[in-house]
Amino acid sequence: MRNIIGLISKYYVFLMFLGLQVLALYILFANNNYHSSEFIRQSSDMVGSIFSKRAELSEYLRLREINDQVSLDNAQLRSQRSENFYVQRTEVDTLQDTTAKQRFTYRSAKVVNYSVNREQNYVYLTLDRGTMGDVKAEMGVIANGAVVGKIVSVSEHFAVVMPVLHKDFRTSVKHKNSGFTGYLVWRGGDPSIADVIEITRSAPVALGDTIFTTGNSSYFPRNLLVGIVERIEEDKDFHLLKIRLAADFRKIDYVEVISDLMRYEQENLEQQVENATSHSN
Amino acid sequence: MPQAILINIVRILFLILLQSVVVSRMLLVDGLILPWIYIFGILMLPFATPRWLVLLISFTVGLIMDYFSGPLGLHTTACVTLGFAQPIVQRFLAPREGYETTQRPTLQRMGLAWYITYAGVLTLIHHGWLFFMEAYSFSNFFYQLLHILLSGAATLLLMTIGQYLIYNSKSTEL
Repeated sequence: MRNIIGLISKYYVFLMFLGLQVLALYILFANNNYHSSEFIRQSSDMVGSIFSKRAELSEYLRLREINDQVSLDNAQLRSQRSENFYVQRTEVDTLQDTTAKQRFTYRSAKVVNYSVNREQNYVYLTLDRGTMGDVKAEMGVIANGAVVGKIVSVSEHFAVVMPVLHKDFRTSVKHKNSGFTGYLVWRGGDPSIADVIEITRSAPVALGDTIFTTGNSSYFPRNLLVGIVERIEEDKDFHLLKIRLAADFRKIDYVEVISDLMRYEQENLEQQVENATSHSN
Repeated sequence: MPQAILINIVRILFLILLQSVVVSRMLLVDGLILPWIYIFGILMLPFATPRWLVLLISFTVGLIMDYFSGPLGLHTTACVTLGFAQPIVQRFLAPREGYETTQRPTLQRMGLAWYITYAGVLTLIHHGWLFFMEAYSFSNFFYQLLHILLSGAATLLLMTIGQYLIYNSKSTEL
């Protein structure tokens, strides 16, 4: 007994090291679902507020560039105003347009944090809008009209985006000229290049062609810009397209969060059909 | 003594903030080089700090760092290893007459060669442990090795520059 106590007092530092190391490794590996838990931590108000302070500073340093972008957008929008158009028809129209009902709305949000992990092949963005700003999980996110990602976690004032640059991100896209559809995925490496898979080999794809969203998912409306074909590789039955993403992830300051006003209607209906068919079986 | 404790705590917290707000944001060479300068706070603990306290401080520093970046537990395990190795490396590098108890392992006190060896070995241990844990698999061994060596060199460089900037040889030992 005395020997044991002697042994412990002699090697207590090493034993303590072992204990703490086991504890640390347990914390690391017990957290199987660590991607999502990290998203939750990053969107917590405390960490979020520290990062938003930093974003304020770096945003200040980039005011000139942001100004240029805003004035460009202004010019584009102004040119779309109705007084700039020549009215060709002479008969009187009704002003209230009942043929079109709004489905998607856009909210502006600021990016307060950007982080990247090379080994795990993922990146995420933190936005300064949360449940208070009507931002919810599973909403699509775009920047300057180009696809960025989708919201995965929200707190009261912050939201975390899983961008296209994440190995779990997947959305359906189409080749503009032919209309053939495939899936957009990212497999790590260069953050400006992503893959489009499962576009059939018979599709006439050429370098420089544009890739758009399909509108099949409720994250994004149809015909949002995704990227431009940069390289074409052949798989067995499919093209494997390497596309240059239209959104530059290192330069995103402001994004727009898309909410689909008809999502629940569509999901409910699809759910009902699914339930009905499973009952009849 | 109480002043020394306070200064060590403030230094550690400041370094963690500097790490997460500034240094981790710099994507040098596409993320190939990623210095972790916050370990400077652990390296600068006075020689007289008991080993169990070094371990506990390292554990806490790692846990706080984890809260800011990466999966929970990653920096904790690397820091615990660092905290265990730090007194051992000090013992190997001890001058014949031993350390003065109030001394701290600064460049000005111990000389450039001693400091580079001390900080270099410990940086390599910490970065090596961290990056291999982060990658889980050794799928891209040579890339990992290059990553560790370059990041370690960057950390060492920043910490050495820091020493010249912050401390001068006449300053009191804290």
